[in-house]
Amino acid sequence: MNINKVDTQKAYQLLWEKITSLELAPGEILDFASLADEMGFSKTAIREALNLLVHDHLVEAPPRGLYVAELQFSDLEKISTIRLNLETLAAQQAVLNATTDDLVILQALCKEVAVDTQEYFELDQRFHQAIAQAAHNNYLAFTLQRFYGLSKRLWYLALPYLDFLPTAVKSHIKLVDAIRDGNESLAMEIMKNHIEEFYLKIREIIKEKDLIKE
Amino acid sequence: MNKKTPPETLVLGIDTGGTYTDGVLLEYNTHQIIAAHKSLTTKRDFSIGIENVIKEIDLEDPSAIQMVSISTTLATNAIAEGKGKRVALFLIGYDPDLINSFDMSKRFATPHYYYIEGGHDLHGQEKSPLDLPDLLEKTKMIKNKVDAIAVSSYFSPRNPEHEIRAQNAIASICDLPIVLGHQLSTLLGSVERATTAALNASLLSMLQEFIIAVRRAMEHRGINAPLMVVRGDGTLMNDEFAARSPVETIHSGPAASAIGGRFLSGEDQALVLDVGGTTTDLALIKDGKVIVSEKGASVSGYQTSVQAANLFSIGLGGDSHINLDRGKEISIGPERVVPLAYLSHQYNNVQDRLKALAKTNWPAPHPRDLEYWFLQQENPELNSFTAKEQQVVEILKPGPKPAIEVLKSLGLLDASQISLNNLWREEVIGKSGFTPTDILHVDGRHTPWDKEASKAALTVFSHYLKLDEDQFQLLFWENVTEIISKAVIHFLTEKEIPARNDSTHDLANWFLDNSLRPEHEQLTTRIILNVPLIGIGAPAQVMLEAVARVFNTDLVLPAHYQVANAAGAVAGSVMVTEEILIYPHMSKGDAEVLGYYLQSRDNRDEIEELEDALTRAKEIAESNALSAALRSGANIPQVNVEVIQDGMDSYRVKARAVGKPRLGG
Repeated sequence: MNINKVDTQKAYQLLWEKITSLELAPGEILDFASLADEMGFSKTAIREALNLLVHDHLVEAPPRGLYVAELQFSDLEKISTIRLNLETLAAQQAVLNATTDDLVILQALCKEVAVDTQEYFELDQRFHQAIAQAAHNNYLAFTLQRFYGLSKRLWYLALPYLDFLPTAVKSHIKLVDAIRDGNESLAMEIMKNHIEEFYLKIREIIKEKDLIKE
Repeated sequence: MNKKTPPETLVLGIDTGGTYTDGVLLEYNTHQIIAAHKSLTTKRDFSIGIENVIKEIDLEDPSAIQMVSISTTLATNAIAEGKGKRVALFLIGYDPDLINSFDMSKRFATPHYYYIEGGHDLHGQEKSPLDLPDLLEKTKMIKNKVDAIAVSSYFSPRNPEHEIRAQNAIASICDLPIVLGHQLSTLLGSVERATTAALNASLLSMLQEFIIAVRRAMEHRGINAPLMVVRGDGTLMNDEFAARSPVETIHSGPAASAIGGRFLSGEDQALVLDVGGTTTDLALIKDGKVIVSEKGASVSGYQTSVQAANLFSIGLGGDSHINLDRGKEISIGPERVVPLAYLSHQYNNVQDRLKALAKTNWPAPHPRDLEYWFLQQENPELNSFTAKEQQVVEILKPGPKPAIEVLKSLGLLDASQISLNNLWREEVIGKSGFTPTDILHVDGRHTPWDKEASKAALTVFSHYLKLDEDQFQLLFWENVTEIISKAVIHFLTEKEIPARNDSTHDLANWFLDNSLRPEHEQLTTRIILNVPLIGIGAPAQVMLEAVARVFNTDLVLPAHYQVANAAGAVAGSVMVTEEILIYPHMSKGDAEVLGYYLQSRDNRDEIEELEDALTRAKEIAESNALSAALRSGANIPQVNVEVIQDGMDSYRVKARAVGKPRLGG
């Protein structure tokens, strides 16, 4: 067992969480000595974790120093375009490839009730992971996971002004029904609308409240 | 020309027992012990003792160490004390009525067990479809109340499909660690497999934390070497494997002792007795190997299906509490206490009081007056304790107090009137009393601490029994010899030793008594042990000499027998077993054989002819075992493949890869 790998993995998860939930703000300078001190990890572990986050595009590494990747309005457009297409693809593939077990899992997730925002995020993430799982394409699942991380920051930015969360769950249920019925076009359409509606609201709020610079 | 000395290959063996953590630094090729270290085990965190050993071991350049290997009672203790994590156990395809009618539910090692429809039959055919919605419903209900999940499906070694599907589904809705029965055992006993899975799940995080702590301690001293953990059968597994299968470490301590005894003595046929501070453990060595239990390891009444040495343990050691039982007979153990000699060595006022007690003639002090309580932690976290418990801590803050005085301050007469379980378990307070170690201080055979305190205690005890001190000691050693001798007979014969007053076993009792202490004028009886005794552990010499005489055999005390347990931790080989089950694929109604299934841990094939199936299974088992052994840190492993018939038309192809551990950074 390599202690450094174990620590790197733990530090990576913690930092991923801090960055995607904006606890570490976009543009914030990352000093690994003080992060190591604060989080109780070795400097090596923090440095390696930050390297992984550079690959995730959540941390920027200019020639000197490291900082949390900036959020720009154009990111929203780029990320939403990709997620829209990939999630729709996942929905389509799920219709084609979902097993009965996949359906049981999706149905169980639809029945879960989140009591707070944190839980809601987790549940939503699990649901999208289960769709990717049902698509039975691990490359697709892997790619979706990366974009989920990028997208989560936008979500957190708009979070204080959001009030539409529970309606998303309804579209989850409809989506699972469509997958169960083998209705490819319907599943794709529900997913497309679900994602579109999400980014539409986020875009509105970010513009209205002027949350990021153009 | 200068003679070149071959480079030394240093390895560090560590054994964490109930009382002491021992470390030895060995030259691997010559078996020469270079340094040894003993430190007290801290039960609330075993890694502290290990860190001490790694810190204190006398070596200029620790980075020269090529391997660290540990045996640990962590798992055994956690199970015995109910300290494992909370586990939900899903039993797929188990028959609740059957389990209830044999009252077997208590054997699952967790109160949170749930029956789920599903499971397979002997032929690997689905007995009933898996009720996944029900499984997920129950997972949802329990997931916030447990720390890990175990799944065992009926006949899963024949077909693990339901366990694997259950795992995928559970992992989709929660992040708890999941343990599957078929990954731990290929035996068909369904209750044992479920118990094994549940125990493994409950120990998972504890062993992971332990290994990480040891790794960090190694890193601090610049030791970059493989870390091995001893299994219950004395073989080694690497740290990553151990972190996944903590149940395999059950009994690893005693197994390491037995192997260490053989390693240091070179005896290939022997009975090994490891006398520790808390217990004495027995194991048999035959043809150079530790005898393994047929049934699988059992611990605290839980029967598992993991392999372990055949062991027997009694609660008698150097620090066992010497007390009086109800019939005013001397009793020894099973409770372990701090010897009075040690307590008095640490604190000033103990000796004076004990001396005063020894001088008191009327009323004669009672042996229970010798029991002391003391604080083990300087500033314990008290929030989780009861008011009474906190009061006890306050009373003990100035220093150790006789137990009777503590009880008096609480307005109580007897310790049974108050529950201080948390204080004992968390090692906030400790108990000190009269022990075999004290008697050794009196007779001068082992005197590191305050022998005056021990002498005074002996006087009190003997006076109370109206014996002179020599008579008392004689009686005491006879008792010790009798307890250990009877344990030896019980272990080797697996027969119950009748109670002393059991008149239905009159002759058996007479025979035993007369063999232990020749009494009869005309009849001499003798029990002869055909193999030598190997004594291990610090008190082994004094406790076992008379036992060897009883059995008319030799007592072998190998060099460094005090730390043979730690030497045993490095003496084992890395072993990996891979099994493939072969059984027929039956047509509907079991009319004809359509082919043969080859079921390995993660894979399933079907081959038409039995002959081909066996050949293929042998190949797969061999290559799987070989690569797993290499991954587990074996150096040039040798593979041995065995085919065992396992019921009608069914076979177990077992490949065992064994090699010395690969050393180096």
